Order: sequence, then C-alpha cells, then structure tokens
Amino acid sequence: MPPHQLMPATISKVPQLVTIPAVMHDERVEREDRELILRMASRDANALDAFYTRYNRVAFSLIFRIVGNRQDAEDVLTDVFWQVWQQSGRYDSTRGKPIAWLLTIARTRAIDCIRSNQRQQTRTEELEPDRSPAIGTVEHDSFVLADTRRAVQEALQTLPEQQKIALEMAYFQGMSHSEIAAALGQPLGTVKDRIRNGMIHLRKQLKAYL
Amino acid sequence: MRHEQLTDDLQEQASLYAAGAMAESQRREYARHLEEDQCAVCLSEVNELQTAVSMLAFSTPSRSPSPTVRERLREQARSVNSVSSIRSRSPLRRFWVDLIAGAAAVGALVFALAVTRANTELRRLADSLNSRIAQLEIQLSQSRTSLISLTSPEVRIVDLRGQRGNDRARGRIFWDQSKRKWFFYVRDLPQLPADKSYQLWFVPASGNPISAVVFNTESDGSTERQIDVPEAVVILKAAAVTTEPAGGMPQPTGQFALLGAL
Repeated sequence: MPPHQLMPATISKVPQLVTIPAVMHDERVEREDRELILRMASRDANALDAFYTRYNRVAFSLIFRIVGNRQDAEDVLTDVFWQVWQQSGRYDSTRGKPIAWLLTIARTRAIDCIRSNQRQQTRTEELEPDRSPAIGTVEHDSFVLADTRRAVQEALQTLPEQQKIALEMAYFQGMSHSEIAAALGQPLGTVKDRIRNGMIHLRKQLKAYL
Repeated sequence: MRHEQLTDDLQEQASLYAAGAMAESQRREYARHLEEDQCAVCLSEVNELQTAVSMLAFSTPSRSPSPTVRERLREQARSVNSVSSIRSRSPLRRFWVDLIAGAAAVGALVFALAVTRANTELRRLADSLNSRIAQLEIQLSQSRTSLISLTSPEVRIVDLRGQRGNDRARGRIFWDQSKRKWFFYVRDLPQLPADKSYQLWFVPASGNPISAVVFNTESDGSTERQIDVPEAVVILKAAAVTTEPAGGMPQPTGQFALLGAL
C-alpha cells in the first residue's frame, strides 16, 4: 500500500504532502534538516525551534523508552537538543542523516542517564496510558515520521525474534554483548552473530529510509 | 591502521559499535580507530549501521514531552544570543561595552586579589588555631587518662616531704599498681643551677636504689611526670629525690631533697 494511503485524515488537508512519494518527501525533509543545522550553527534560535518541532516526539519516545520516567526523559531531551544546538557547527553530513545524528545523541545521553542514576527500576509511567496526541495529527511533517514508523515496524516483524531481542537489549538497555550473552545464557559468538545479522537485516529492509 | 576492504570480522565490529554493544574498553579503542585512523571502510559501515539501528527509535510508543522543555530550550538559546548580540553591536557601542567590561574585569581582579589575601590570612589563622586545638586535645586526653588513673581504687598515694631546709617542698606519687605506673607531682622545690639535676629513686626493701627519672623543675618549683615502674621493682620501702650532677647518677651521691616512706 503506498504510504500516502495510510495517512490520517487530518494530514490530507496538506495537499503538497499527499502527492509526494514518501522517499522523495524524505529527501526534501533531510535537505531542510541540513539547512536547519546550518542555521543553528549561525545561532538562529528559530532553527532550533523548528528542528525541535520536527523531532521532539521521536527523540522523547526513544529517551523515555530507555530511562523509563518522564522527569529524567525531559531533562535528557533538553540536554540532547541543547547539544545539537551547540554542536551544529561540527555536524558532518558524511556521517549520516541529521535524524540519525540526533537519535544517536539521544540514545547515548539516555544510556548515560540510566547508568548514572540507576533509576531504571522506577518505570512506573510505562504502565500509564499515553495522553499525548495521536501520531500524525500535530506536526506538519508527521507524515514522513509516521511512514518511517510503519516501515520500521514492518521491518521488525520480519526480523527473527532472537535477533530482535539481542538488538533491543543492546540499543535500549545499553547492554554489552557479553552482558547480553550472560543474560540470555548464550555463547558470546552467537550473540555477536545475532546483533550483526539483525543490523544487516534492518539496513536491508529500511534501505529506502536511510 | 586503515582497512582496504570489509571483512566479516570488520562488519561484526562495526555492528557491535553501532548497536552500542561493545564493552567500554573495546568501544574506546574502536572509536580511536575511527577517529584517528580515519578508516573509510569501517567509517562507512558504522555510519550505515548506526543510521539503521537508530531507526529502532521509531518502534517505541509515541509520546510527547511537556511544553516546558521547549520553553527551557528557547530560554537557553535566548540567553546565548543576548550575549552574542552584545558582542556584535556597532564599533562605538562595542568600545564602550568593552571599556566597561574591561573596567569591571580589572575591578574583579583587584577584588579577587584582596579576597585571596584575606583568605591567606584567615587560612594562616585557622591553621594556627587548629594546631592549638590539637595540642589542647592531646592535653585533655592526657588529663583524662591521669584522672582515671588517679581515681582508680588500685592507686596508692605516697607523700614526699622536703628535706634539709626545703620545708615547703612537697611531692606526691600516685602509684597505679595494676598498670605499674607512677604519676609524680612536685611543687616548691628550689631551682637548681645548670650543672645540677634532681633525681627520683625507687628505694627497694633490699638492695640499691634504682633511678626512676632525672628532672628539673619549672620556675615555680613544680613538675609532673609519668614513670613506668620496672618489673625488677617489687617491694619498695621508700621513694626519694636527691640532688645530683646534671644528667643524674647511677646511684645517689647528693643530698635528699624529698623523701617518702611506702
């Protein structure tokens, strides 16, 4: 099914988004992201605001998934976007897309947070219903993010369960391969293979989005 | 070292690094390889895999942060920009800003120097007071030990009286028999010339006296000493203080200054 047929009704009010294929739209977003980073490097606070508007939800969702409570997640989110603002002049486009850069920073800071305060056990809010607005109804670029989200979920469905578990333990819990091997009771080599094969599978499945 | 082509091992390394699954020491070493060696093969693989794995963020339930985060960021960015806007104003204005800032900096420097000097004085005073406190604590501890010993039921008290015209002189020994210690206190003994010393003796029931301590008094004729009683000293008939040549003698040679029977 083409991505634009999956869009929520509210998005269809933005005509230029309806007719553009997701991947092409994604390229345009990426170009705009690079421009925003350039503007941030010249200390344009509006660019920071726009970049935040685009990616605060996905970054926050990732951070929340790792740290497990809202207060810490919001503190880390602030640090992450502030780091983006401060390091925007050093962003190297050959190292990947801006969104990947942002999410790498977000993941790293979130893992640092749980390692420093060990508050992982207080994941009470995970059980609460999410009161935030539904995907694709708030930001003008949610179409791209929603399409990416769908693609990632499809890719994960085709990923063998054992590879998915090993990858998630590394990425979301910050566990090293030896810690994962010990936790799963599997040989180290097996865990390394699962991580490697899982990542190669993800890369192949999401090629159009990378 | 730069690699020429991607092998299975290199791909494994890149995937573990990108997933954040390396142990810290390995991670540092690999990061060094990427940064310092600028290995294009590994860099390219890491970048692609890192981008791929970062997409896992989209598999998490979607949540929104509270508006305060945006406000915080705006505030931080505003404060940075207000500083940089001051720096980018017109040359004349910048001259005055720089002048005021310079004067403020000089003022701050002078103030800092004054504070540093005052701090040094205070630190010296604090060191001196700390040293005095330490001395007093030692004295207090010794006094407590003495008091405990002097009030012990096992302590025997021996009074010594002045001899040969030293009628005012007095001495007292608190003999803690369980600890084999003498606490010896003297007052009103006449001061001796530099070539003389007082010497306290254990005087056993049989045999020769044994030297306990050689001492000189303070200007008021007083002194106090703690003396270990030797194992050889078992039954005593007296304690005596004689006047001896400076540094003391193996056996008494001078006149008695104080004497007390046990």
